[in-house]
Amino acid sequence: MRQNKLIIRRIGIILTFLSLFSIAAIFEFGVTTKCENLLEIIMFIFIGIFLLSLQITFIKTGLWKFTHKPLAKLDERELILTNKSLRLAYGIFAVTLLLLLLIFSVSERSLSIVLVATLIIFAHLLPAAIIAWTKKQ
Amino acid sequence: MESRKIYNRISLIRKEKSISRKELAEKIGVNFQTIGYLEREEYNPSLDLAFRISETFELPIDIIFSTKPFKTISEF
Repeated sequence: MRQNKLIIRRIGIILTFLSLFSIAAIFEFGVTTKCENLLEIIMFIFIGIFLLSLQITFIKTGLWKFTHKPLAKLDERELILTNKSLRLAYGIFAVTLLLLLLIFSVSERSLSIVLVATLIIFAHLLPAAIIAWTKKQ
Repeated sequence: MESRKIYNRISLIRKEKSISRKELAEKIGVNFQTIGYLEREEYNPSLDLAFRISETFELPIDIIFSTKPFKTISEF
């Protein structure tokens, strides 16, 4: 039962991040293609998947609320848990951001507002995603 | 440095004293889920938390916590 819940949570995390970055990719590279209508439909599907998986994996489980709680409201175990997840999230986010900046600077492209917004959402979701991915309960 | 596993009798004493996990959590100022983690020995409490538990149960700390597994009645 616990194992099943963990698998469902992990699928939710993958879907959330996959849809989030797909939305950004469509915004970023969609303008250069000719099939605008098809891309719009695909993008709305991805927005739907993102909102649904965000609701099921992060909001309904209370993980979003948990990682955004004031420090004074956390007990010592929760503090250790959030500290560990923030430490890992910081590393993952820094590497992702630096890689993106490298790719964009090599290809002489500028970062769009959508991509920056995506990265802000990504940074806020990462600590909760790490807890959801690693913790059995 | 990896810390040693700390064994405890929280679950046993709590049941003996007829205190729910929620009540104990409120008394020692932690989330009730933390009591579950403590009872399953998946989390080692800080010295401060260990003292708070010992004060709540009104028992010496070494009766509740140990670095070695507690003996069962059949092992005595």
